[in-house]
Amino acid sequence: MTRVLLVGLAWAAVMIGITVLSARWQIEPPKNRPIKSLTPEYASSDSCRSCHPGNYASWHASFHRTMTQVASVDNIPPSMNGLDMTYQGVEYRVERKGPAYFARSRPAGGTDADFGQPQEIVLLTGSHNLQLYWMESGKARTLANFPFAYVVAEKKWAPMEQTFLVEPGPKQVYGSDDWNTACYNCHVTQGRSRFVSAGKYDSQVSEFGISCEACHSGGREHIEQNRNPLRRFALHWSGRPDQTIANPSRMDGPASSLVCGQCHSIWAFKNPEAEIPWSYTGAQYRPGKRELDSRWVVQPQGLDHPQQRAALMKEDPDFMSQRFWGDGMVRVTGRELNATMASPCYKGGKFSCLSCHEMHPAKTDAATLTAWATQGMMKTELTSDQTCLQCHPKFQAAAALTAHTHHKIDSSGSNCYNCHLPHTTYGLLRAIRSHQVSSPTVRESVELGRPNACNLCHLDQSLAWTAEKMTEWYKQKSPALSPDDHTLSAGVQWLLRGDAEQRLLVAWSMGWAPAQSASGHDWLYPYLVFELNDPYAAVRFAAWKSLQTLPGFSGYEFDYTMDDARQKEALARAYQKWWFEVRDKNGGYRAQTMLEPAGLFQQELFDRMLDHRNHRKVYLAE
Amino acid sequence: MNPSDRHLRFGWWSLFAFLALGVVLETLHGFKLGWYLDVDQEMRRLMFTLAHAHGTLLALVNIAAGLTLRTVKGFELEKKASLALLWGSVLLPAGFFLGGLVIHDGDPGIGVLLVPVGALLLLYGVGTAARAMGKVK
Repeated sequence: MTRVLLVGLAWAAVMIGITVLSARWQIEPPKNRPIKSLTPEYASSDSCRSCHPGNYASWHASFHRTMTQVASVDNIPPSMNGLDMTYQGVEYRVERKGPAYFARSRPAGGTDADFGQPQEIVLLTGSHNLQLYWMESGKARTLANFPFAYVVAEKKWAPMEQTFLVEPGPKQVYGSDDWNTACYNCHVTQGRSRFVSAGKYDSQVSEFGISCEACHSGGREHIEQNRNPLRRFALHWSGRPDQTIANPSRMDGPASSLVCGQCHSIWAFKNPEAEIPWSYTGAQYRPGKRELDSRWVVQPQGLDHPQQRAALMKEDPDFMSQRFWGDGMVRVTGRELNATMASPCYKGGKFSCLSCHEMHPAKTDAATLTAWATQGMMKTELTSDQTCLQCHPKFQAAAALTAHTHHKIDSSGSNCYNCHLPHTTYGLLRAIRSHQVSSPTVRESVELGRPNACNLCHLDQSLAWTAEKMTEWYKQKSPALSPDDHTLSAGVQWLLRGDAEQRLLVAWSMGWAPAQSASGHDWLYPYLVFELNDPYAAVRFAAWKSLQTLPGFSGYEFDYTMDDARQKEALARAYQKWWFEVRDKNGGYRAQTMLEPAGLFQQELFDRMLDHRNHRKVYLAE
Repeated sequence: MNPSDRHLRFGWWSLFAFLALGVVLETLHGFKLGWYLDVDQEMRRLMFTLAHAHGTLLALVNIAAGLTLRTVKGFELEKKASLALLWGSVLLPAGFFLGGLVIHDGDPGIGVLLVPVGALLLLYGVGTAARAMGKVK
């Protein structure tokens, strides 16, 4: 009996020893990529979960969480294994080895011996639209860009440049160490670049992705203070805000919007020196502040920051045009604060991002959270119009709304968003709603080239038609219009002779159900087919996706990344399919759509439009 | 009513009540009610589960106490201790239950304050019973 007891005690002692020792063993953090390392102020989302399970769940369901992820077999599409793609004379091959993926490259047509060293894919940016990949570079925690992106909805690999609206031809969208010098600014929580030497960084983040503390500020003090249950219950009962943590929903409009705008804005450092401490300690801005500390929100017009604005333009003369329309309206996605700030609603002091969006829906069941996350994180309790009616209750009455919109109450033309937040912003290979609340004018189209909301829906109508309605309904003065603007569809004009962004916005709108309903869809086919050979990959993509929405072309296959010759072949095949299989043989195509009654292009007009196409090089810095 | 009868009667009724609560909780599962099952209601679910588990277990403890009083010769429980065991068996699960009715994110409602009171009464009652059992020849 004693022996059994002794053996048992010895065994227990050994187990306790192993347990204690194992607690001291630490897994070495990887050396080939940025790592998670908390600063004293930050505690990470893991610490928020136990007290705020509902908010944690909604954040976890959001795409903020997965904005940057450490690469793993769980978040890399399996098709990356065996990927073999050539771009600009370099062949890239990816292979999975155990739980990791490795990329190798060689000159196209080379032998196996020409392959360089394998580079591990270590990080990815984005999760639900596009995924961009980052590889170890061999220089500490500096990352190199993998030159192909994954278009999630299409399950398609595409050269990185062809996922941006960028001029065709060799152009590198991302440089060698862009993650460590640019992406880390906003795609992680409290990132620190940590420059070591030329092209070499030892980058750290408080959390990969955008987590709780990005919007609520560092939570360490909040956690320490609230270990005391009496403090917590005093706060619950009093309803007072907890001063140890920021809560954007309790802030006024500008302060609340700036929380989102710390990333969702076009910003710049106030001076070059400000970037140095930023890169070592991370952002000094904390939610609740009224300014971005060492940065400023760049609006092309305004009296603020004159020196910085001048310096910015001197350094990069295209800075504004790559991001803003001529009147200062932002034209790229992801920069919504600039648009919000320019909205008349913003000036009241209450309007903020949270007027329409919510970060933590009341319901936390999986279905609600999935719908909320995939539908722009809109307030789940409100329909689209109700968000506007919160401040504009006079339009709640059907008669008042109809009198204002001059559209049927149940039509898309009576929806606030469609007129006041039209799809005039570009990003992620598609048109996206502007976030600047504005009213449509013909002047914006004539003077700035920005398609107006009316003609983005009534694609078949001319600018003169719109001008007439605007004068009749809203007493707008019509600008001078060209003869073509009186007789030809504005949509077709933008598509044929517009610049790449105009073409993309119209090509996308041709696939938009309200536009197809308002302007018919029979006449859209030849134009969308024609745009399958647009010089800009993003325009081809938008045209293809819109073509797929039309009867007869559902699921139509087209590789928007293929070369010009094969694009032309595909175009010819698609045109033949439309002409022989889908086209309305009775004809009746309207002259204003620049088609003959039978459906052929009005060739002389068509050629003239193309001769006058705006070939300016477009690059939108989304 | 003698202590044995009191503990047995309380135990069986308490067992009935908390088993019934279990049936209610299963029903909430069955109908997938968000008020009980959603992630942000985690604390309510925990509190109700604790109320069910503690209530049922303490009912069995009371039945055991009643049977012990009835069958073990020489075993006597002071009235104070007997009442402490009974009230602890009420207050502890009731505290969990009330704490789950109204919750504040990751915190239970004020009703949870009954839990430590009930726990102290239970400790006193069970401790006294254990000591009394030690004195039985």
